[in-house]
Amino acid sequence: MTTTEQRPGAPVGVPGRRKAVSHGRRTFSSSKGFTVLAFLAPAIVVVLLFTYYPMIRGAQMAFRQWNLYDLRTTPWIGFDNFRSLMNDPNWGTIVSNTVIWVVGSLIPQLVIGFGLALLLRRKFRGRGIYQALVFFPWAVSGFLIGILFRWMFNSEFGVINDLLKKVGLIDANIPWLADPDLARLSTVIANVWYGVTFFTIMILAALQSVPDDVLEASAIDGAGKVRTLWSVVIPYIRTTLALTVLLRVIWIFNFPDIIYGMTGGGPANQTHIITTWMISLTQQGDYGRASALGLIVLVVLVAFASFYLLAVKERDKK
Amino acid sequence: MKRSIRSIALGSAALVAAGTLIACGSSDSGTAAGGAVTLQMIESLSSPDRTTLLKSMLATFESQNPGIKVQLVTPPTEQADNKIQQILQAGSGADVLEVRDTTVGPFGTNGWLYDMTPDMAKWTGLGDLTDTAQKYSKTADGKTYFIPYGFYGLSLFYRTDLVKAAGFAGPPKSWDELLEQASKIQDAGKNKYGYAFRGGKNGFSNVVTAIEAYVGDDLDTENAFKTKDGKTIFATDEAKQAAATYFKLFKQASPPSSVAWGYPEMVEGFNNGSTAFLLQDPEVIAAISKSSAVKADQWSTAPLLVGPSGKAAQPVATAGWGVAQASSHKPEAVKLIQFLSGEASKEFDQKNSLVPILKSAQNDEFYKTGPWASYVTMTKDTSTWLTVIQPRGVAWWSEWQTKADSDLQQVLIGKLSSDDMLAGWDTYWTQKWATK
Repeated sequence: MTTTEQRPGAPVGVPGRRKAVSHGRRTFSSSKGFTVLAFLAPAIVVVLLFTYYPMIRGAQMAFRQWNLYDLRTTPWIGFDNFRSLMNDPNWGTIVSNTVIWVVGSLIPQLVIGFGLALLLRRKFRGRGIYQALVFFPWAVSGFLIGILFRWMFNSEFGVINDLLKKVGLIDANIPWLADPDLARLSTVIANVWYGVTFFTIMILAALQSVPDDVLEASAIDGAGKVRTLWSVVIPYIRTTLALTVLLRVIWIFNFPDIIYGMTGGGPANQTHIITTWMISLTQQGDYGRASALGLIVLVVLVAFASFYLLAVKERDKK
Repeated sequence: MKRSIRSIALGSAALVAAGTLIACGSSDSGTAAGGAVTLQMIESLSSPDRTTLLKSMLATFESQNPGIKVQLVTPPTEQADNKIQQILQAGSGADVLEVRDTTVGPFGTNGWLYDMTPDMAKWTGLGDLTDTAQKYSKTADGKTYFIPYGFYGLSLFYRTDLVKAAGFAGPPKSWDELLEQASKIQDAGKNKYGYAFRGGKNGFSNVVTAIEAYVGDDLDTENAFKTKDGKTIFATDEAKQAAATYFKLFKQASPPSSVAWGYPEMVEGFNNGSTAFLLQDPEVIAAISKSSAVKADQWSTAPLLVGPSGKAAQPVATAGWGVAQASSHKPEAVKLIQFLSGEASKEFDQKNSLVPILKSAQNDEFYKTGPWASYVTMTKDTSTWLTVIQPRGVAWWSEWQTKADSDLQQVLIGKLSSDDMLAGWDTYWTQKWATK
C-alpha cells in the first residue's frame, strides 16, 4: 500500500507524499469539489445542527451564571463556575468516587466477561439460548436496573439480605444503601452485573476470529491451555481488547443511570460521581455549573483517549 | 452520468436546506383546518390511573366544547418538570400545564406563565372554591398563575393493632408520644420497626414539620420558615428540641437503612406491615387500601403531630393547572382550566386522594369517614393545626431541597451534628433573604 512507484511525468526523486499532493491537484477540480461537498452536505448539516451547535450552546453556559429558575440575567462570569465546583466540599469525594466507579467496575467486568466469552466459545447444547440470556442485561435501561437493584439491596425488604440470611452468612440486616462505603460497593456490583455482557459480546466475537489452525499449532508445540490463552489468544485479540476497554472506560465514566436510580448520589453525596452530580445540578436549575462539569468530563475523556491510544500504538510498534 | 451525479448532489443539498428551513420555521399554531383549536396540555405528577382519569375528563370537556381538542402529553414523572421547563423556555409545545407550588416561583419569574387574574375575576366558579384554594391561586404579588386542583397535607398513618398491643389507648398526638410509642413497638430482630423514617429524597421536609410544630404560635404563617420576629425558625431553641426528638426517632425507632428511604420505601414499609407509623400525604390512602399485608381494620390515620405548645403547622402542598405565556390560545386554555377546577375536580380529587378545592365537596360523606376523618378534624380546628405557607415558590427552593437533604443525611450517618445542621440552615436562609 505504501508504494513509491513513480507515475509518468512526475519529477524524478520526488517522494510519494509529494506525488500524492500533485495527483490531488490535478484531479480535484472545483466542480468535483462542489459535488463532493453537496453529497456531504446532509451529513455536515445534521452533525453541525444536532451535535456541534448544542455542544457550543451548552459550553458557553459554563462561563455564564445560568440558572433556569431565574433567566432574567445570565451574565458572563469567566471561570467562576469551575472555581465554585472545585471549591465545593464534595469535589474530592466525587472525583475519587468517579475513579473507584470506573476502575472498580471495569476490571471485574473485563475478567468475568472474558471468562464467560471463553465458556460460550465452546459448543454445547442450548448455547444460543444461554448466549441470549447472558446478553439480556445490555438491553435493559440503566435507570431501571438502578431501581431494581435499589430494591434488591434494600436492607429490610431486599432479596440480597434475605438470601444471605437464609444461607447463614449474616444474622442481622446489612444496611447496604445507608452506609457510604457499602452503598458505593452496591452500585459497583450492579454496574459489574450490567457491563459484563458487553465485554462478553465483544470478546466472544474476537475469540471466534482466532483461526483454529493457530490454536492447533500451539497445541502441537506443546502449549497448555493457560499458555495458549496468554501467548496466542490474547495477543491475537489485543486490538479488540484495547478498544473495548477504551470504550468501556468512556461509557462507565459517562454512565450515571445506575447510581442515580440506586442512591441518587446519597447518602449525603457520598456516592456521587461527576455525571450524577451533573444531573443533580441540572435538577437544581444550575445549568452553568452543570455545563462546566460537562466540559471537565469532555477534557478528561479526550485526554484519556488520546493518551491510551498513543500508549497502545507504542506497544504495538514494540 | 456526471450531470446526473451532480443533480443528485444538488438535490440532496437542496433537500437538507429545505428541511432545515422547515424545521426552523415551523411553529405549532394548534389550529386545525376545520377551525378547531387543539390545546397542548402537559402533566407533571402523573400516574397511569391519573392519566386515564384525566383523559376521560378531557373527553367530557371536548364534547361540551366542540371547537376545542386537547392533546395530553405525559412525560415520565421523574423528568416531567424538566421537560416542562424546556418546553416553556422554547416558547412552544404547551398551552395548559401542571404547575406545582415548587415550580410556580421560577416559572413566574422567567415570565413563562400567563397571569389569569382578569379571566378569573369574570369566572362565576371562583366563589365555589375553598378559601385555601383561592388563597393558593394567588402569588404574593397578586398574580394568578395557576388554579390548584387539590391539596396534599400530612397526617399520621398508624397501625391500630400494634398500638393497642403495645399497651397504648390510642395513636400519638404529639412528637414526643410518637417517639415513645414507636420506640416501644420497635423490634428490629423481628423486622418490626416503629417509624417509617424518611432519610432519602425530601427527607428534610419531615424534620422541618417537626420544627414548625415546636415553634408553634411563634410561626409566621405567611412564611413558615420565619418566626414572627423575622428570624429563621432554625435559629430557635425549639428547633434544637424538635431536631433532638426527631433524630432520637431515627436512632431508637426506625429501620437503620431508612437513611436512604424515600417515598417508595416509606410507603412499602407501612404497606407490607414492617413499620407502625408513617407520616404522609392523603394520596397514600388509596395505596394502603389495596395492601394485602395490612387489613382495613389494622390501620387508620391520626391528625398531624403537635409540638410541646400543642400546635402543629400543616405545610400545605399543592399543584394545579396554568396557562403558558407563549400560548396562542389563551381563552380556550383558560376555559379548560375553569372546567377542570369546577365540578370535574370532585372526581379528580377523590380518585387521587386529594383534599378537595370545592366548598361543596368537603361536605361529601367520602371525606368524613375512615382515614379521611383526621383531615376533617384538622380542617375544623385551625387554631391547633395552623395552615401555613412554606416558601416553596422561591427560585432557590430546588437548591435548598438538595442541600437540606444532604445535610440531614450527614447527621444520620454521623458526619454532622444536629446543631451544626440547624446553624447552616439558619445562615442559608438569612443570606438568601438578605440578598434576594
